[in-house]
Amino acid sequence: MKRTPELFEKIEGYLTKTLPKEELIAFEKEIAGNQELKQEIEKHRSLHQIVSDQDTLEFKEKLKQIGDQVKKEETSTSFFSSFWKIAASIVVLFGVGTLLWYSLNNQDHTSDLYAQYYEPFPVEDISRGDGNVALQNIMKSYTQGNYNDVISALEKYPDSLKNTQLQLYLGNSYLNTKQEQKAIIQFKNIQKTSQYYENGRWYLALTYLKQGNSKKSKSILKEIVQYNGIYKENAVKLLEALK
Amino acid sequence: MNNTEDRKILEGIATGDEVIITAFYKKNLPYIRRYILQNSGREDDVEDVFQDALVLIYQKLKEDSLELHASLRTYFYGVCKNIWRNRLRKNKKMIITEDVLTNEEAVDPVVIENIEQKEREHVYRKHFLNLGDACRQVLTLLFQGNSMKEISNITGYSEGYTRKKKFECKKSLLEMIEKDPMYTELKITPEKE
Repeated sequence: MKRTPELFEKIEGYLTKTLPKEELIAFEKEIAGNQELKQEIEKHRSLHQIVSDQDTLEFKEKLKQIGDQVKKEETSTSFFSSFWKIAASIVVLFGVGTLLWYSLNNQDHTSDLYAQYYEPFPVEDISRGDGNVALQNIMKSYTQGNYNDVISALEKYPDSLKNTQLQLYLGNSYLNTKQEQKAIIQFKNIQKTSQYYENGRWYLALTYLKQGNSKKSKSILKEIVQYNGIYKENAVKLLEALK
Repeated sequence: MNNTEDRKILEGIATGDEVIITAFYKKNLPYIRRYILQNSGREDDVEDVFQDALVLIYQKLKEDSLELHASLRTYFYGVCKNIWRNRLRKNKKMIITEDVLTNEEAVDPVVIENIEQKEREHVYRKHFLNLGDACRQVLTLLFQGNSMKEISNITGYSEGYTRKKKFECKKSLLEMIEKDPMYTELKITPEKE
């Protein structure tokens, strides 16, 4: 139903009982057959009732103001509490920053030492005479520093890792491709009974060093000193440097 | 009425005492907020329900029909919960965690007579108060029974402009009410009956 000024005036006249008699009769007839008009009239009636109750309107308006005021106070309280939260965060950030700076510095130190002491496990001619082309290729890649090729080739043949030397090559390849965690697994896997045990320990200590974990590195280095093998001299020096 | 404290607050509500109402507001809002937010409501709902419940109490005081069998606080919480549950039911979001209801509050379940009628009134009132000052003035004068001529005398507008203004204000008010999600729910009920 289209709302027009004429319709509204008729409804208002009807509700306030000010319509001339003839108009009223005609309008009542119209209402009787028009559900939509009936509803529209009910809306106007409600509106008249609500707006006529000025007391309640004023009370509701007062509540609205009080509600807004209460909300405002709540927000300003929470503003202050968030102010303190922010202040506290800044303090924490400073603390974390200092720590971070310290540990990054520390890491700089350990990675310098790592660079100073690390040398890839040297290639020995393990394929001597047996004509294993695949193995020869792997060693070639390793020597040339194509560590990713070494990794993908060795990972294809997990059985080959029963060979401790190959474990060392794989570990070194991981170490040179920023996969320290995998390197650690390889080096740790080298058994005490193996002739390459000391090599494994040495590279394990260097891996920890590379990770900036000087504590773990030191404990392995001490073990190497005890072992009294070819890496003892380097281990002592490194321990001294890590102090 | 239980005690002098409650009587004081009720007097404050009846007379529109801002200090008393503000104190009541601050003291009881957190409880209602918790209840409504825990029961699928939003912050806007909290304010609406809280204020509508107070309006209900105000009207009852005016009609002298308020009967308290427990403390005012208990009664007020009951009214708020009733309003909110009714609205949830309408929105078919009936997920009420009854554990929020403590025994104290459960003692005197408040029945709101003509809750549909009351809800309709809340919607109309809310939107009327959202109108601009000029609209409110013209409509208020109209509903007080003034003629267009009288209204134009009071407001200083020409009679033609007053007529135009009245129509536009009323039309936009009805449109705002119809757009209110609460209103749509209300509308359906009488048609079903």
